[in-house]
Amino acid sequence: MRSIRRTRDAAVSAALVAIATWCIASGVACVEPLAAPLVNAHPDDPTPRRGGTLHVAGQGEPRGFDPAAAADQVSLPLVALLFDGLVDYDGRGHLVGVLAERWEVADAGATYRFFLRPSIQFQDGDELTADDVRRSIERALHPDTPDPFASTFSGIVGYDDFSSGKAPHLAGVRVEGRYVVSIALTAPDAAFLASLTLPSLRPVCKSAGERYSAAWLPCGAGPFRLPEGAWQHGISVTVVRNEHYFRAGRPYLDAIVWDVGMPVLTQRFKFLAGEIDYFRDISSIDVSRFAADSRWKPLGDAEPDVEVTGEAMNTRMAPFDNVEIRRAVASAIDREHYRLLSPATLNRANQPIPPAIPGFLADFAGQTYDYAAALEHMRRAGYPYDPETGVGGYPKTVRYTAYEPGLAYYTAQVLQQELAKIGIRLEIRLLGIATWQALTHKSGRAEMTIGSWAQDYPDPSDFFEPNFAGFSIHEDDSNNVAFYDNPRLDALLKRARLEADDARRANMYAEATRIVCDDAPWAFVFYSHRYSVHQQYLRGYVPRPAEIEYMGDVWLDRPGSAADARGASALGSVFGRLAARLP
Amino acid sequence: MDRRSLARFRRNRGAVAGAGIVLGLVLFAIIAPMASTHDPLASDFAHGISPSMGPVGPSLERLFGDDRIYRDVFARVAYGARISLFIGSAATAIATLIGAAVGIIAGYFGGAVDAVLMRLVDVGMAFPFLLLVMAIGASLDRTTATTILITLGLTGWLGTARIVRAKTLQLKRLDFVVAARALGAKWPAILLRHVLPNVAGQLVVVASLSVAQMILAESVLGYLGAGIAPPMPTWGRMLYEAQGYIDIAPWMLIAPGAAIVLAAVGFNLVGEGVRDALDPKDA
Repeated sequence: MRSIRRTRDAAVSAALVAIATWCIASGVACVEPLAAPLVNAHPDDPTPRRGGTLHVAGQGEPRGFDPAAAADQVSLPLVALLFDGLVDYDGRGHLVGVLAERWEVADAGATYRFFLRPSIQFQDGDELTADDVRRSIERALHPDTPDPFASTFSGIVGYDDFSSGKAPHLAGVRVEGRYVVSIALTAPDAAFLASLTLPSLRPVCKSAGERYSAAWLPCGAGPFRLPEGAWQHGISVTVVRNEHYFRAGRPYLDAIVWDVGMPVLTQRFKFLAGEIDYFRDISSIDVSRFAADSRWKPLGDAEPDVEVTGEAMNTRMAPFDNVEIRRAVASAIDREHYRLLSPATLNRANQPIPPAIPGFLADFAGQTYDYAAALEHMRRAGYPYDPETGVGGYPKTVRYTAYEPGLAYYTAQVLQQELAKIGIRLEIRLLGIATWQALTHKSGRAEMTIGSWAQDYPDPSDFFEPNFAGFSIHEDDSNNVAFYDNPRLDALLKRARLEADDARRANMYAEATRIVCDDAPWAFVFYSHRYSVHQQYLRGYVPRPAEIEYMGDVWLDRPGSAADARGASALGSVFGRLAARLP
Repeated sequence: MDRRSLARFRRNRGAVAGAGIVLGLVLFAIIAPMASTHDPLASDFAHGISPSMGPVGPSLERLFGDDRIYRDVFARVAYGARISLFIGSAATAIATLIGAAVGIIAGYFGGAVDAVLMRLVDVGMAFPFLLLVMAIGASLDRTTATTILITLGLTGWLGTARIVRAKTLQLKRLDFVVAARALGAKWPAILLRHVLPNVAGQLVVVASLSVAQMILAESVLGYLGAGIAPPMPTWGRMLYEAQGYIDIAPWMLIAPGAAIVLAAVGFNLVGEGVRDALDPKDA
């Protein structure tokens, strides 16, 4: 008995020593440089090659691919592959015709007339005509369709009657010929063409019918189609080449396999092993590593800064109903500290419009870090704080609502440190993303939270109206999470929408920027962009401003096998081999 | 523990090693935070990024390196030790107290009391422990060390109750208990003076094993994001924060991971040692 126990103890000790040694050894060994990119099979031949299957992976599960209902970041890139719209942005950010060959603007900007390319076919072989465009628009904007962007199109003549069910058709959308369709607006709208690049109104096959149905198998006029049964929930989505696509010879790929629900770490190791061709869910530290590696840097695709993030303060709730407190917060945050959380993807912010969006004021100081000013604002608010003694400040703990997982988990802890320096003590409440979103969109539920807005289309109205306009407040589901209601700003935004003169319009948005920075419903903290990396053998890839993953024009020049291209060290480390085996 | 049991414990090298580990951790939890020159909650943004673009690694000045937002991992592990040991022992105290009371009462009175209490335990045990704890944790608006330890304590007594009940059933038929009852002793006195001292050995064993379980449970909660709210450092939270960086900043993972392993191994060895020492069969 005793001897057995002694043996067992010795075994336990030996195992512990082994584990400790392994931990230390692997800890040292696995901090190693990134593996080299796989080399191309035909590096000197610029001619695109047909064929091959592209592999992409994502963390999330898409909700569905109906363009009239899709809004989540997982579904949208796939919707963009399945459906082409009338117009879209090209690789340089210019609006170009896609299904529309050209368009003309009449009635001083209140009517848009689109001329479709003749003989475009849907994926099922039917011809696409002006009737289909009208049917698709009415289907998307019908009151029974859960279209998250519907209100964007409320300027179309007859929208109110149609969306309330009073009229059977949308009066403003008229078929003027087999290939000509016109859209009349109640007033000129400078952002209308841009809003057409959203997925909502993209033409759908006749199989979609007149009304939205969740059971419909998505079918459109995009470069790829979704075969029956190709979406295996929780596993992958496979889209195959649309043989009827209107651009001859495109797309080059036979298919795209999009694995869903794959953890970031697994994606990373699969990417380095050549099993994934395009790496989109890249962690912020990995962005820095890939961007710093001279072999991988040319293969990285950085969007311009089209997203703004701020600390949103609920103007209806104490203490943020006091504008001086909001100004104190806006002055107290050293934006550099936020930027350091992910230097490769974040830039310091000082105003609501990101630098890559028209309306950004390059010479405007905006909200900046100024500790002395922050203390002065606290004093004016009636809560003077003495940094020497730590006495004073706002007497109660303020609840801060954030979500996890994500960068917000860390920014919350940075903000807590920043605000402690002016006597505002935060208590962090972490929620799941869905709960967080539901709760912060309700009136009176979250004193302070993180607010982010990425462009839907490059126009200042897309930033001001959803986030800061009083008319965007809804008691139960408000995009305006600061519940900021300023009639002067609302009037300005409405006038700017109708203004056709670019210079005057720019002036109005500049005024709006000054109002929002001074009233500080948000303390703007950083602008961000997405960064993705593709394999060297993924060629012809041009990221688009609004859809970084657009894969309609790429082709594969894959080497024979990963091992041929790089030799033995296909997977970097012990962890790599383990992680690649994760489900 | 009588002298012979103590001698048996000391001859058991695993148990002595376990006691050493536990003592070491307790000393670490007391001394290290005082010795550490860094604030576990404060980011040192000036410390910057390592050449491999991750947090800066271990150095003489910062033994376990930096974490994701430039905080000192050593200081965080040290403060985490305080929280983990505090939650582990306090939750165990609550669980042992409730478990002992329920077990003794059920075992001593038997009948309907026993049936009701034990069916309650059965129902509780039918819930997966972590699921139950997470559900309670999620329903609390704020999660602090206190709420977590109460949650763990209120859900962790079921096993203890069963063990104590079994022992009590055995004890109440023994002559000294029967004699006490015959002499007219009231039941609280019998339970406290005659039954409880005789289940104390079992309680010590269950409790020392339970500390390890509670520390693990707190870590799992933290790792799953349901534990104590940040920025408070707990070992489980630290693992959670480290998981995305295992190949860039392994020290973020190794330090709290090793601490959890050590604590679990230490308390388990002590628990097993006490059990063996008290077991007369092995004498």
